[in-house]
Amino acid sequence: MTRAENMSKGYQGGMRLAEVYIPIQTYGETFDLKNALMYGTIFPELYRPYRPVHRNPQ
Amino acid sequence: MHDYRSMVELLKEIQALEFGVYELALFLDTHPGDRRALEDHNRLVSRLNQLRKAFEDRYGPLRLDSESPYPYRYINDPWPWEIQY
Repeated sequence: MTRAENMSKGYQGGMRLAEVYIPIQTYGETFDLKNALMYGTIFPELYRPYRPVHRNPQ
Repeated sequence: MHDYRSMVELLKEIQALEFGVYELALFLDTHPGDRRALEDHNRLVSRLNQLRKAFEDRYGPLRLDSESPYPYRYINDPWPWEIQY
């Protein structure tokens, strides 16, 4: 079976399945523990709170 | 009242330490060879044990698997959900 045939298996809508690349985390700075508890992580690089962007209504 | 405030402050420090230990444990799951992370983890663990002991000596057992003076003190209040942080 060719690679193309393989790739067409297992999904609909002609889209390929995802291939994930995750760079390994390295140990660096950490938050002060009291803040970390509030932020939900001790790692600054993982702190990404969801902040809704207020688009002005068209 | 003063004692209640200092109890809560100590408890908050214990909670922050517990969270830190847990986060480092998760990191070490994927980085068992990271010496600095392990050193920090062990440093936090020993500080945590120290604070837990200090807390329990003064305010009684924190957890089910904590020793208790007589009579059994684990059931005393405040219960965790009654604590005003």
